[in-house]
Amino acid sequence: MRCIVVTPEETILDVETDFVAAPLFDGEVGILPRHSPLIGRLGYGELRLKKGAETTRYYVDGGFLQVADDVISVLTSRAIPAAKIDRTAAEKQLTESLARKAANPEELAVRDRLVSQARGQLRVDR
Amino acid sequence: MANPRVLDKRRKSVRNIKKITRTMELIATARFKKAMDRASAATSYTDRITQLVSDLTRAGLQVSHPLLEKRAEVKNAALLVLTANRGLCGGFNGNLIRAGQGQFAELKALVPNCTLQVSGKRGISGLKYRGIPIDKQYTQFEDKPRFDEVDAIATLLLDDYATGKLDRLDVVYTKFLSIAKQVVTVETLLPLGSLDLNAGKGDSKQESTMGPKHQYEFLPSPESILEEVVPTSFKVKLFKCFLDSAVSEQIARMVAMKSATENANDLIKSLSRQYNRARQGRITNELMDLIGGVEAIS
Repeated sequence: MRCIVVTPEETILDVETDFVAAPLFDGEVGILPRHSPLIGRLGYGELRLKKGAETTRYYVDGGFLQVADDVISVLTSRAIPAAKIDRTAAEKQLTESLARKAANPEELAVRDRLVSQARGQLRVDR
Repeated sequence: MANPRVLDKRRKSVRNIKKITRTMELIATARFKKAMDRASAATSYTDRITQLVSDLTRAGLQVSHPLLEKRAEVKNAALLVLTANRGLCGGFNGNLIRAGQGQFAELKALVPNCTLQVSGKRGISGLKYRGIPIDKQYTQFEDKPRFDEVDAIATLLLDDYATGKLDRLDVVYTKFLSIAKQVVTVETLLPLGSLDLNAGKGDSKQESTMGPKHQYEFLPSPESILEEVVPTSFKVKLFKCFLDSAVSEQIARMVAMKSATENANDLIKSLSRQYNRARQGRITNELMDLIGGVEAIS
């Protein structure tokens, strides 16, 4: 099973894997080889790739997941290896976004996005 | 008669300048290759997004989103002009400033509340000199624009659009068509109009008329995915503008420096000719003096 992770800047990953766990918008999805075709909306969280006993972890920043022909394409605006997450920046974003005022639904959505982005990063970086 | 020493000095300074322009040309060539690689690396993402959109439409989904629809009343508009941080690239910045100025005047006539955002030091100083106030300026974009940085600007714009502080966004940038051709273009990015990222290629329509290739399962729902696809395609479009602009800048500099080097070569040639003539003229004069003196004595 092939897994391809693409960001607008470059193709970050193009590897063979045994198992992929991706953070969907409303929960995690696990994908084994020969999964049925699927298009999913990604949330902010941890992408895990398993090959044998080895697990690689990434933080993905929203985007999409497409599974077809035994190829998993992950389209995301950012994919950061778990070891490279900037914890202080994420914490700062969390406190700042929590303090943000939201008067209408649109502003609330903006705040929610910032909060879940920061929380996702903090969850991956443990 | 011209002074040979002065001519020689001028020739030396032209030679030094030629060295500089030649080096700048080489640097621009190397940077252009890098920028080009980045731009082509980005196409893999856009291709996949286009594929996703066509898969969505094949699933029989009605494509509608607030970002795609034109607003009935346009009260707030923004113009984003993408220029370079450095000069010495021919007419690159001048053309952009002129186009930006024209577009801003046009926009002002249509829309009561206009803001101007400029990226690149050259554009900022150029527009300031022309007496146009700039609301926001960016100087962090060099020859390698990062998606993170563009994403931050795009998110700000999208947030403004969603909260009604912005109804229209135009971008003035240099579009990269081929190595030989780049044109200054004005594009309306908000509202988006259509989702086709590769407009003009024409093969995406043909594909969508074909039957469904896969029976996709949508998680959580096609509508929710669409809700995310539209802002993403806006961000990618904006990112593409920045990439195009970076590539075009390097090409413009390459061409400008190449012609500067060639011009320096021509100048050196004509200065050398003048110098040699002046030198020979002096020698002839001295000989004439000598011969005249000898004749007078004998």
